[in-house]
Amino acid sequence: MTATSTQPTGTHLTGTHLTGTAAMLRLALRRDRIKLPIWLIAIAAMVPRFYYAAATIVAPTPEARAEAAQMIRASFMRVLAGPVFGDGPVTPQGYFLAAYWVEFLLAAALMNILLITRHTRAEEQTGRAELIRAAVVGRHAQLTAALIVSAIGNTALAALTAAAAISVGFPAGSALLFGLSLAATGLVFAALTAVTVQITEQPRGASGIAGAALFAAWLVRGAGALQDQQGGPLFWLSPIGWAQQTRVLAGDRWWPLALPVALAALLVAAAYRLAGQRDLGAALIAARPGQAAAPSWLRSPLGLAWRLQQASIAWWAAAFLAAGLAMGGMSGGMTGIDLGLFSPGADVVRGWLSLMVFTGSLYTGVFVLLSAARLRAEEAHGRVQPVLAGPTSRSAWFTASLAVTALGALLLLTVYGAGLGLGAAVSTGEPGLVAEVAGASLLRLPEVLVLLALPAALLGLAPRAMAAAWAVFLYSALVQVFGPYAGVPAWLANTSVLSHLPWHPLGTFAPVATLVLTALAVLLALLGGYGLRRRDLA
Amino acid sequence: MTAAIAVSGLVKAYGPARALDGLDLTVQTGEVHGFLGPNGAGKSTTIRILLGLIRATSGSARLLGGDPWADAVRLHRRLAYVPGDVELWPNLTGGEVIDVLGRLRGGLDVKRRKELVERFELDPRKKARTYSKGNRQKVALVAAFAADVELLILDEPTSGLDPLMEAVFQQVVAEAKAAGRTILLSSHILAQVENLADRVTIIRSGRTVESGTLEQLRHLTRTSIVATTAAPVTGLDGLPGVHQAAVDGLDVRFSVETRHLDAAVRHLTTFGIRSLVSHPPTLEELMLRHYSTEQAAA
Repeated sequence: MTATSTQPTGTHLTGTHLTGTAAMLRLALRRDRIKLPIWLIAIAAMVPRFYYAAATIVAPTPEARAEAAQMIRASFMRVLAGPVFGDGPVTPQGYFLAAYWVEFLLAAALMNILLITRHTRAEEQTGRAELIRAAVVGRHAQLTAALIVSAIGNTALAALTAAAAISVGFPAGSALLFGLSLAATGLVFAALTAVTVQITEQPRGASGIAGAALFAAWLVRGAGALQDQQGGPLFWLSPIGWAQQTRVLAGDRWWPLALPVALAALLVAAAYRLAGQRDLGAALIAARPGQAAAPSWLRSPLGLAWRLQQASIAWWAAAFLAAGLAMGGMSGGMTGIDLGLFSPGADVVRGWLSLMVFTGSLYTGVFVLLSAARLRAEEAHGRVQPVLAGPTSRSAWFTASLAVTALGALLLLTVYGAGLGLGAAVSTGEPGLVAEVAGASLLRLPEVLVLLALPAALLGLAPRAMAAAWAVFLYSALVQVFGPYAGVPAWLANTSVLSHLPWHPLGTFAPVATLVLTALAVLLALLGGYGLRRRDLA
Repeated sequence: MTAAIAVSGLVKAYGPARALDGLDLTVQTGEVHGFLGPNGAGKSTTIRILLGLIRATSGSARLLGGDPWADAVRLHRRLAYVPGDVELWPNLTGGEVIDVLGRLRGGLDVKRRKELVERFELDPRKKARTYSKGNRQKVALVAAFAADVELLILDEPTSGLDPLMEAVFQQVVAEAKAAGRTILLSSHILAQVENLADRVTIIRSGRTVESGTLEQLRHLTRTSIVATTAAPVTGLDGLPGVHQAAVDGLDVRFSVETRHLDAAVRHLTTFGIRSLVSHPPTLEELMLRHYSTEQAAA
């Protein structure tokens, strides 16, 4: 049932396979009429937002410019955002590209990964594709329509971001090249996702594989930027690196755009080939039969919550370990810099590790928010009703689910910190870093718990507004990461959930902030439990 | 006998819309109670209130002597529930789901579980996401019937089951009743309720329109008679309560209001009865009559 069939007929892109593409395209655009514009506007709006952050740092004094120039060339920044082209003083536009270009490329890729998954594998998995394909619709119409939507989206993205770049002082040609670099990267990841959706039966698995590839591309690019200020050999192995090799405002090269376009063409051809050879709903990786009976530990709300999340937590942990090891392994290459985040003269390696530990806290924040969103899905899809129709109280279900997520967050912070510390210990030859960094990572647990308790409170009090927790998270992350550069006043910075714990391992343990955040998390969770006991279930 | 379920004047309002509008329902301990109504009549809303998943706007609902909202957990130890549209955790196998639901209730009868899995021909090793609608339904049925409980609340439990499985379901319900369990069976499969139910409650637009034993309800309607006589029948049309009379030579068919049945059959005997078949009114007729009168009234 799940094996691929080997009908040779499906491999050709003949007319009948594309029947209905126009209708599918209209349907896809209709479904995305809100989502896609929001993505596009949000990414384009980041251009002036980040430009002003850059302009604040690159103040019009020679000292500030020299300092900024030194900062972006530091190995530290090159790994995260690099490379840097040219040697002279830095302009706000140049700083914008050196520090934030990568973020735009990642956002463009993510938009495309989710878009393709949404219109292909997710449709198959829900069974809607069956309904569609039973109509006069060719076997490749859905995939083709999805790719066309992605092409439309990427074209609009290039136009919008180019216009935004012009508005912040880019020359028109350079602005267009910047926009096209985003579109080309988006295209590569759309094409890659068109392949990964053929591999797994689960939409989440498909976007997970594509996301892992995106992360790998980002890492390889960082390693390449560490090799050489303008991008070493490794740099050329990454699609994100190709986009940056257009050297916007530093020579404006157009030819590197041919690389992502060529790779996208290859991947799309592979996707059609794979799609033509498989059954609807089937995947290259077939599902295995599972247990005929539940394991003996699976007998309580806590057991159920763990069983539902164990696979997800295991995947997250594996990704966290890999990310920790990779980022830690770059510690040895760090050279003196002042990011303006830490006290002057701070230990460079520990400064890097502090920033990475904080990044781990952000990733864990994403995990807890996604995990909390599952509770709402359990309710909305009617899966919690059979549980609550048994002698399980709402409080028991709620508490058990939150406990498992909190435990998962604890595990992820530990695994990530240990990986980061191990990588750092190996690259610097300081074995003590393993325990030090793992400990530093664990100290961030209170802020992660608040990020978990927030959607939990909303689940009880205002379940339809649960997405607001994401807004709080994004706001907090932006304020903490970019606040110091944008001249955010202290009172405003303090509204960020993520700005209260010190930079660990650089900073010293802050008992008050730890206690207050933990108490806030407990309070929010209690409120959520109170609300949940009182309201009607969906 | 005490009532396992006692609902009276139940109202559930969603803004100006009323899902339930003064509903009454009484289920005696030990009986199989059919709960009938068209789509959107309020069957599932009533059941969700009985399970404490939602709260009634007004009216009273008692379940096994307790308050379904306040005593939910305590009461749920004594009941099992099968929804009409079973959603399962996609990454758990059917077997795991059965065990989880059973153990959350405090354990299930392992021997009974095995027997039910076989009778319903369920493959418990498959991931729930691969199950068809009928198979998901079987998972919930096995979990419910393997539980040692007093009350079974079944909300259109056999939607998606094939006729063979429907027969298995009927046997299993009969066994549960023989074991002394109380069963609330919401359905619009009339034959099912007709075979199983001791009493039925018919609801429409959030209100109870009829409640009683099938016998009592049948008094309200007509019996159809098909007979062959020795001499052609005459004078049927003049009899009270006789409708749709058709005489074709020696064959005669007509329907008669139940209270006039005796007079009509006496009349037939005067022509010499060779064969006689009488059909009691089916639930279809009962329901159709209720719905059409409601529609006529509206």
